[in-house]
Amino acid sequence: MQLDFAVNFIDALGINPLFLLIVLPLVGAVLAAIVRGRGARIIALLVTGFELLYSIILALAMDPAAQVDANGGVFGWGFEMGRLGVGESAPVLQILLGVDGLSIVMAILSNLVVFIAALSSNHINKEQGSYYALFLLLETGLLGVFLSFDLISFFVFWELVLIPMFFIIGQWGEEGCEHAAVKFFIYTHLGSAAMLVGFFALFFLGGNTFNMVVLKGLSLAPLVQIGFALAVFMGAGVKLPVWPLHNWLPWAHVKAPTPGSVILAGILLKMGGYTFIRLGLWLVPAAMARLAIPFALLAIFTCIYAAFTALAQTDLKSMVAYTSINHMAWVLLGVAVAAGAIGSPEFAGVASFAIMGAVFMMFSHGTIISVMFIMAGQLKYAAGTREIPDVKGLMAGAPRMSMVLILASFAAFGLPGFSGFIAEALVLFGSVRIYIWASLIALGVFLTVGYLLWTLNRIVFSDPVEERPVTEAPWSDLIAPILMMLPVLLLGFWPDLILDYIEPIVNVILGVVP
Amino acid sequence: MIQLFSSILDSLRLLLTPLRDLILAVVPMEWIASLPAITLVVFSLIAVVVGLRFNPLGLSFIGVILATLEMLIFDPSVYGTSFGGLFVRGAFADFFIYIILMVAVLVLMSATIYGGSEGTYNFLLLMSFAGAIWVVMATDLVALFIAWELMSTPTYVLAALGKHKGAVDGAVKYFVMGLLSTMLMVFGISLVYGVTGETSLAQLASTVGTVYVAPLGEAAFPLTLAMILFVIAFGFKIGIFPGWMWVPDTYATADGSVVAYLAGATKKTGISALVRILMVGFILAKVGEGLPVWSMMIVVVSILTMIIGNVLALAQRDIMRMFAYSSIAMMGYLFIGVAAATQLGAAAAMFHAFTHALMKTGAFILIWAMSLKLAKSITYDDLAGLSKRAPAIAAMLSLLMLALAGMPLTAGFWSKLILFQSAVEVGMWWLAFIGLLNSVFSLGYYLRVLRYCYMVEPIDSSQLRLARVPLLAVIFCVVAVIALFILPGAVLDYAFEAAAALLGL
Repeated sequence: MQLDFAVNFIDALGINPLFLLIVLPLVGAVLAAIVRGRGARIIALLVTGFELLYSIILALAMDPAAQVDANGGVFGWGFEMGRLGVGESAPVLQILLGVDGLSIVMAILSNLVVFIAALSSNHINKEQGSYYALFLLLETGLLGVFLSFDLISFFVFWELVLIPMFFIIGQWGEEGCEHAAVKFFIYTHLGSAAMLVGFFALFFLGGNTFNMVVLKGLSLAPLVQIGFALAVFMGAGVKLPVWPLHNWLPWAHVKAPTPGSVILAGILLKMGGYTFIRLGLWLVPAAMARLAIPFALLAIFTCIYAAFTALAQTDLKSMVAYTSINHMAWVLLGVAVAAGAIGSPEFAGVASFAIMGAVFMMFSHGTIISVMFIMAGQLKYAAGTREIPDVKGLMAGAPRMSMVLILASFAAFGLPGFSGFIAEALVLFGSVRIYIWASLIALGVFLTVGYLLWTLNRIVFSDPVEERPVTEAPWSDLIAPILMMLPVLLLGFWPDLILDYIEPIVNVILGVVP
Repeated sequence: MIQLFSSILDSLRLLLTPLRDLILAVVPMEWIASLPAITLVVFSLIAVVVGLRFNPLGLSFIGVILATLEMLIFDPSVYGTSFGGLFVRGAFADFFIYIILMVAVLVLMSATIYGGSEGTYNFLLLMSFAGAIWVVMATDLVALFIAWELMSTPTYVLAALGKHKGAVDGAVKYFVMGLLSTMLMVFGISLVYGVTGETSLAQLASTVGTVYVAPLGEAAFPLTLAMILFVIAFGFKIGIFPGWMWVPDTYATADGSVVAYLAGATKKTGISALVRILMVGFILAKVGEGLPVWSMMIVVVSILTMIIGNVLALAQRDIMRMFAYSSIAMMGYLFIGVAAATQLGAAAAMFHAFTHALMKTGAFILIWAMSLKLAKSITYDDLAGLSKRAPAIAAMLSLLMLALAGMPLTAGFWSKLILFQSAVEVGMWWLAFIGLLNSVFSLGYYLRVLRYCYMVEPIDSSQLRLARVPLLAVIFCVVAVIALFILPGAVLDYAFEAAAALLGL
């Protein structure tokens, strides 16, 4: 899908597109910090809006089938920061950016989520300058993670994401947010620490290089691969999150300001899912194949556990947070079952369903959950509380808000016609053919439908109560969620928009020659 | 990176040829390599005389800058040895001398707000700088001992000159433990001399190679004991297990500029001396293949130091004490690189020494300036709402904290990364993991500073303004920390060159 106008546009700018994607938010961050106030908001919206458009144009200009080579491929960009030794042969510490079908999908998702989050930040009035500066810094970190093809480069951006997120949660969050911010930081840092040891081990056992493409080309000993995969599990498992590493999530999501929760759920969790695919399936497929069954079991358990926990929540935001854990388990399941099918060609077809479903789930969940979090935040303004039992008669008092909330809930539990359905269906098709017991995860769907409908029943369709009036949200607050519903509906009818980009890399992972 | 810097250096040398010729005409050839140290000694004497009537701080600055120029214009490969080869300049020594000179400038900048106008204060500081330079140049145990004393003795007095009422207590503790460690060092040297008949490190190395052959003879035991004594004696100055106890007491009570000097420079001389002794003198202290016998000892020291530093730092309320314990923990990380005993490990340790000098000097000067302004020791409560009272200072402090925690956008990220990598290289992945766990643990207190600065409401919301010159020093540190994140190669290349020179590769 290489459109001429897109190619021409990229050429006309004359700057490496990936470099521009990474650096523009940094420049915006500095400007926002200088300008402050409303100007900072305008800068943030312009920059994030441009980033979104630009990443879509980049997607149209690239060839999804082209794989990244050791120098980053067609649009590759590298920057050597230092060398571990003297002379030309010494291993390099570098930023190496490249783009393939999977990366671009995740990059578009992160730009979309950050844009929507910036749009929905209209209730942030305190120190806007530093708020939007941190926001844009966060965007750089996120894009860097998805576009890096060097382990060190990946790790730099992976850690970079923590700093702005820490401040966003801690400084603009709700009561008790400082504790949540520290918990978030330490938890994820702990996961990264384990992952880093894995990176080093791979470096020394795999020919003194951090370059992912080169490492992928080596045939490493199985034990090394398994060790690395377990280290990656620690890093990505905390981010995703997988039971029992999920404890930071409800805290961080609930205490963060609404745009912060949107980013956390919408894109930060996807860093975990992406890492499972990129550093797991893509880099060390043999190890993932051996770990497939434990990972699949963990995923199923996490899904059902999170669904039950969500059932017990009274705070809408915290319920949505557990829904995130519940949905991200699908990503891990898709990855795990696909890994289980590596090496058996008869399952290649269904395995590719599973991986595509996992990626699709990340995209669709990123959009849907953003709407859910924005609506949960809105509920606080509309009804004065987010406690589900305390809100009555939303439909009567706030029909516009109710409509968005209903649509988002339907999308979240996977009603056909919304993108959530396609994702769950793809993963489920893949899993039952490979591990029949993986269909147990359907229990999670069942519970999710149950608690979401129950919630709607309690807050939207209940009778209004005099003492608890509900006010309608102004249109200015509803722009962001409504915009975000568009991709949900669009992908529900036209999943190939994304699947076409992922298919080539899935074929590479599964060893299928198209 | 090296090419760029060396071409700049070449043009600088060309520019300063007249000065060089002048010096060469006056000063004996034997002294040229030690000239920076000698210059500092001369200026310290001038400072005493001038200090009777005027403020000698300007002259001290000139002295340090002159010493730096002398470092730059004399190529160590030509004018490398002095005093009959007792003190030698080379890639390894130069690396540490530049750290010392950099810290020296920063410390003098910080001294403008307290103590710098006194002649004696300048005398002691400059004399100690000179001693520090000689310590890193020494290649002979006896020469090392003398230089060590020249460096240490002024700092005992300086530590006692602080404003804090406990300054004398802190200094006494420092002094007593310093004496103890000196004694142990002398004992170690005498053991080495008794067994090998040598005090020169290069000759010691070849003797050690003949002693450590299976089966181990009697001579190996006194040498191993000497090794342990050296680790304890030099480790005292570095603030590692078992000699760390004086660090928090002295750091919390002494004047902040002196603390910045102790943490930024004298610690580094201890590291350079210890690394030189272990990696030159005792590198062959092993039976068969594998790591030298001291490696395991350093591993134990490193782990204990990290844990002690981090656990106790978490319990502190006073920022200076917290920094003191965090320094201890940082030295624990550094010794991971030493334990690896490879080029990567040595280079990682040196790079960490450099970044630690920047981060800690900046942090100590900043807190010292605040503490003088508020006329009290700074605790977390004084940092509350700092982002509102002084946004720039809060941002700089936070950046330094993130650097100490090893987060990206700061040089601390690379120094920790390479240290842990060096441990994995020799198969000690568990040591890297322990280091990383400690690093995660340390977030507990670094993030607390950030939390107080940004997320806690201030008790006193008046604006806070600090003295300009020390702030300039802090700004330099912060900018350097960020610049070294983007281009770690600027220092890392030299660290690798120095490590190669040290190990004779």
